[in-house]
Amino acid sequence: MMASSYNAKEEDGHNSGASNNGGAGVVKSKKPDNTAFKQQRLPAWQPILTAGTVLPAFFVIGLIFIPIGIGLYVTSNNIKEYEIDYTGADINDACYNCAKNFSWNSTMPCVCSVPFTLEQPFESNVFMYYGLSNFYQNHRRYVKSRDDSQLNGDRSALANPSKECEPYRTSEGQPIAPCGAIANSLFNDTLELYYIDSNGSRNMIPLVKKGIAWWTDKHVKFRNPGGNDNLTVAFQGTSKPVNWRKPVFEMDPSDPENNGFINEDFIVWMRTAALPTFRKLYRIIQKKSSTTPTLPRRVQIEPGTLTLRDDHYPCELQPTPNIADTPQHNRN
Amino acid sequence: MGIFDQDVSDQNSLCYPSLYKPGQQNLLFNKRQFFLCTLQGLGTSFLLFFIPYGAFSVMVKEEGSHFSDQQAFAVTIATSLVIVVSVQIGLDTHYWTVVNHVFIWGSLVAYFAILFAMQSDGIFGIFPRNFPFIGTARNCLSAASVWLVIVLTAVVCLVPGLAVSFLRAQLFPTLTDKVRCLQQSRKRRGPREQNLRRGRRTSSRRSAYAFSHQQGFGELITSGRNMRRMNTYLERNQ
Repeated sequence: MMASSYNAKEEDGHNSGASNNGGAGVVKSKKPDNTAFKQQRLPAWQPILTAGTVLPAFFVIGLIFIPIGIGLYVTSNNIKEYEIDYTGADINDACYNCAKNFSWNSTMPCVCSVPFTLEQPFESNVFMYYGLSNFYQNHRRYVKSRDDSQLNGDRSALANPSKECEPYRTSEGQPIAPCGAIANSLFNDTLELYYIDSNGSRNMIPLVKKGIAWWTDKHVKFRNPGGNDNLTVAFQGTSKPVNWRKPVFEMDPSDPENNGFINEDFIVWMRTAALPTFRKLYRIIQKKSSTTPTLPRRVQIEPGTLTLRDDHYPCELQPTPNIADTPQHNRN
Repeated sequence: MGIFDQDVSDQNSLCYPSLYKPGQQNLLFNKRQFFLCTLQGLGTSFLLFFIPYGAFSVMVKEEGSHFSDQQAFAVTIATSLVIVVSVQIGLDTHYWTVVNHVFIWGSLVAYFAILFAMQSDGIFGIFPRNFPFIGTARNCLSAASVWLVIVLTAVVCLVPGLAVSFLRAQLFPTLTDKVRCLQQSRKRRGPREQNLRRGRRTSSRRSAYAFSHQQGFGELITSGRNMRRMNTYLERNQ
C-alpha cells in the first residue's frame, strides 16, 4: 500500500495517501494521529522478572513436580511384568529348532513350548504383549508403504493400489490387498497360554482378542470394502500379500467383525511403532472375581507353559521376539 | 507483534538518552548473540526430541492398548514444541498489549484447532491418503501421561532460560532494566504522589520572584497552559 502510493515529494511516507486526496489546496499534516494505537500508548501489562515473582514460581514448580514424580515412580514400580524371550538363538533355548529350521515359505507351522513360573500372582486385567527388537517400523520408506484409501474400503483403491506400495503392489498380475511393506510383514506368531495345576493337567487360559486396537482405527480408519459380509466376493480379483499364508478375508472367519481389514491384530500391526524396540498388545486376560488372582503364582500351581504355533520371522531380519505379561496397574 | 513491544515508555526514553547506546553499539544483535540463540535452539530441539523419546519407549494407555506408536510420538513432540515456543515468546515480551494477547493465545488455540481438524473423521473421509493421522490427536491427547510428558518437556526447556534472564537482570542490570524498574515503581506509587513531587521540585527550581504578597503567575507558567495555546497557534499557521 505504501509502495503504490509513494510520491517522490513526500519525505516520510506518513500521510501520503491523505495528501494525494487533499489535492493542491490544503496540505495535511504529516504527523501520525495522536491515538493510543499509533503512539504506542495502548493499555498494556508490563511484567518484570523480580525475585518476588520468579523464586516463588520455581518453588511452586518444584512442589508440584516432585510429588508427581514420586507418585509415578511408586506406581510404575508396582507394575508386575514378566518377559519371555523366545528368539531361539541359543542352542539351549526351547525354540532353537524352530528358529533354525524354519523359513518363510515353509508350509508346516513350527510349535515350541516355553515353560515359565511367575514369582507373584498377577491381579486384575493382565495384558499380553509381543515385542520385537531391532525391527525398524519407523523406517521412512517402510512407513509410507501403505494405501490408506484401500484400507478404508475404497473399491477403486482396492483394484488400483497406490504407487507407494511398490514393490508390494501387485503379485501374479493382480493387485495385492492389503498392499505395502507394512502389511506384508504382518506378525503372525500365535501364542497360547496354559497353566499346569497341581495334578499336572494343562488348562488353557482364555485370551480376549477384542478391544486391543484403538476405537478410531477399528471403526473409522479401517473399513472392509462393501461391508463386513461376503468378504470372499468383495476381495475377488485381488491377491494376498506375498509373505502371507492365507488371504486377508480368512484372518478370522468365525467372527465377521474381526475379519478382513478390520481384524484387530492387523490393525495393531499397521499402527507403526516409533522405536526399533517396541511392544504391541496381543491379547487381554480378563480378570476373574475380585478375590482370585488372574494369573496365580507358583506356590499354588505348577509352572505354566507357553506354546507357540509359529509362522516365524526369517532369520535375516534378526528381530528378537519376546512376550511380556503386564497386569493393569491403577484401576484396582 | 514485535512492533508493539516496548521496554521503556517514550517519556523515559527522552529522559535517559543513554538508553540508545546499546542500539548504536549493536549490543543486542551481533554475531555472539546470534550464536547463543542458535545454541539455545539446538539445545531445545535436543530436549524436545529426547524427553518424549525416553517416555515413549515404555508408554502404555490406561486400558492397556499400546501407545508407543509413531503418530502419537509425533503429536506429542509437535504439541510440546508449540507450547515451548509460545511460552518463550511470552516470556520475552515486555509490553503485553491486546494484540500480543490475541496472537499468543490465538496461536495456541489455532494450533489445537488445526490439529484436531486435520485428524478428524471428516477430512479423512475426503482425502484418506493425505491425512493418515486420523484419530491420533484424540487418542493421544486424552491420555494423562502424554500431558505429563508435554508439561515436563516444556518446563525443562523453559526454566533454564528463565533462570538465566532473571539472574542477569538481578546481578548485572543494564540501564534498560533499571529504568523499567523505576517506571514500574513510579506507576505503583501512583499519579498523585508524582504530581506533589513535581510541584515541590519545580518550586525549588524556579528562580526567585520578587512578588511574594500574592500568588503570582508561577502556577500559570509552570502548568504549561499558555505554552500549549502557543503551540496550537503555531500549528494552525504552518
